[in-house]
Amino acid sequence: MTADIRVRNLVKHYQVADREGGLRASLRSVVRRRHRVVRAVDDISFDVEPGEIVGFLGPNGAGKTTALKLLSGLLHPTSGEATVLGFTPWGRRREFLSQITLIMGQRQQLYWDLPALDTFLVNKAVFGLEDAAYEAQLDQLVNLLELEELLTKPVRQLSLGERMKAELAAGLLHRPRVLFLDEPTIGVDVTMQQRIRDFVTRYNAATGATVLLTSHYMADMKALAERVVVIDHGKLLYDGPLAGLVDRYAPHKTITLHLERSVDRADVSVYGEVVDADDLQVRIRTEKAKAAAVTARMLAELPVADLSVEDPPLEYVIDQVFRRRDS
Amino acid sequence: MRSRTLAGFAALLRAELADLFQYRIEMFLYGLWQVVNPIIYLVIWSTVVGGGTIAGYARDDFILYYLVFMVVSHLTLAIEVYTMAPSIQTGRLSPHLLRPLHPFWRAGALNISYKAVNLMFLVPIWVGLALILRPAFSPDWLGLALFLPSMVMAALISFLIGSCFAMLAFWTTRSMSFWDIWMSLTLLLGGQVAPVAVLPGFLQQAAVVLPMRYTVGFPIEVALGRVQGAELAAGLAIQAGWTVAAAAAFVVIWRTGVKRYAAVGA
Repeated sequence: MTADIRVRNLVKHYQVADREGGLRASLRSVVRRRHRVVRAVDDISFDVEPGEIVGFLGPNGAGKTTALKLLSGLLHPTSGEATVLGFTPWGRRREFLSQITLIMGQRQQLYWDLPALDTFLVNKAVFGLEDAAYEAQLDQLVNLLELEELLTKPVRQLSLGERMKAELAAGLLHRPRVLFLDEPTIGVDVTMQQRIRDFVTRYNAATGATVLLTSHYMADMKALAERVVVIDHGKLLYDGPLAGLVDRYAPHKTITLHLERSVDRADVSVYGEVVDADDLQVRIRTEKAKAAAVTARMLAELPVADLSVEDPPLEYVIDQVFRRRDS
Repeated sequence: MRSRTLAGFAALLRAELADLFQYRIEMFLYGLWQVVNPIIYLVIWSTVVGGGTIAGYARDDFILYYLVFMVVSHLTLAIEVYTMAPSIQTGRLSPHLLRPLHPFWRAGALNISYKAVNLMFLVPIWVGLALILRPAFSPDWLGLALFLPSMVMAALISFLIGSCFAMLAFWTTRSMSFWDIWMSLTLLLGGQVAPVAVLPGFLQQAAVVLPMRYTVGFPIEVALGRVQGAELAAGLAIQAGWTVAAAAAFVVIWRTGVKRYAAVGA
């Protein structure tokens, strides 16, 4: 099977003006401009197979959105290659654009003063959808996203979450085979986030579409992406299963103890690194491989009332990834 | 394929029209603004000419010229520096780049729908003015027949050149400044501040070869039978030449510019 998305040594540099604040710097910049090159995407390579859902992880400014814009054909790269469904994205061929979508949480294609339905009709014509296919897809999207009530209201009167749903529908009317989703859950409440996640899962299952998404929310990644690509400062740091990321960057477990009576801190520190401790509760971090043995010893040697063993939270793992890179 | 482009264009046109109908008061004010300048020129010239003629224009000829000017300048108005340039700078171009239809068509739909809606407000004002001023008019049938093609070419040149200036936004955030220079030149050489025939000799010669006259003044001269015979044929040929040149410039600037599309909001 050939990959739906194939990226090789992709590079995108931006030139940005650079000057200090103040009048003097401002005057100086009239005569001489200083520019700085930002390496938004710096030599990344990866493949995405048909039907895969891959999460793009990285802090703000890591290059995630730039990468999605390159792959959807909005930007031309500085160097490197990419193919999506066999097309070079920035060639922006009609056949290519008809099979992909890029949905950005903060950017909208919907006409602001018109009901969403008007934008849908424009897309129907532009994508050359037959009446029957359009109706069927619209029905499906209306059901999945619970859009019925929203279609005839001017977009400016929709809430942020409602707008996001309408935006998703507008981007999916043409049944794209590849979905680029940039922060699809940004700015919407928890319930709506959950709905959007469910929707993406169902859409992927029903159509076999390939999905590449970015998100700040770990819940999105946990729910949607079996595989994550981590980038920072434009470089690819990790590409693999989400679980593997935890193993690589945070290969330990956190054991939380509730004690029947207080014990000396020195007595617990022999089991592992004490993360925090108060009178009757202690949290200890220990290597994953030793967790079972350490737990057994503690149960035998300490006055344990209750005990739990957990993986570190994903937020912590990501933090570890980026810290390690910075140091 | 071609029918899909046209269907897409028609759908965009419908949506843009519906969108503009949301701004009735704004449209009415623009309609009013469109007639203010020509009225000023009309008043100045009809006062200056008094009972005589200037370069073959008597009082009624100036009135007629500026009445036609109101319509032509409206129909050939280029709004791209105000619509396309900001969308390049802020990244609002992105959704249009992602559709399988060249953004050219969307810009065209916006341009045409703007003029169509505005016309609804302009026409009553115009009819009122024509009824008040009632200039003498003896129609030149050939001129009137050729007015439409000349008008369409003028609108095309204007739209394409306006788009070229707007696309400078791919390089600079100040495309508007370049446009202002262009507009000043059009004011002088395009037959706005005065009919081209009234300009001093060397400016007239410049106006005949440069594109500005072919975006406003020339179709008016054609409609009123001010250009005849060989001069008319040459004028139409030059206008057709500028239409092709503007289209070529559009294609070149678009292809080069879109590679640089990287606005912060893109």
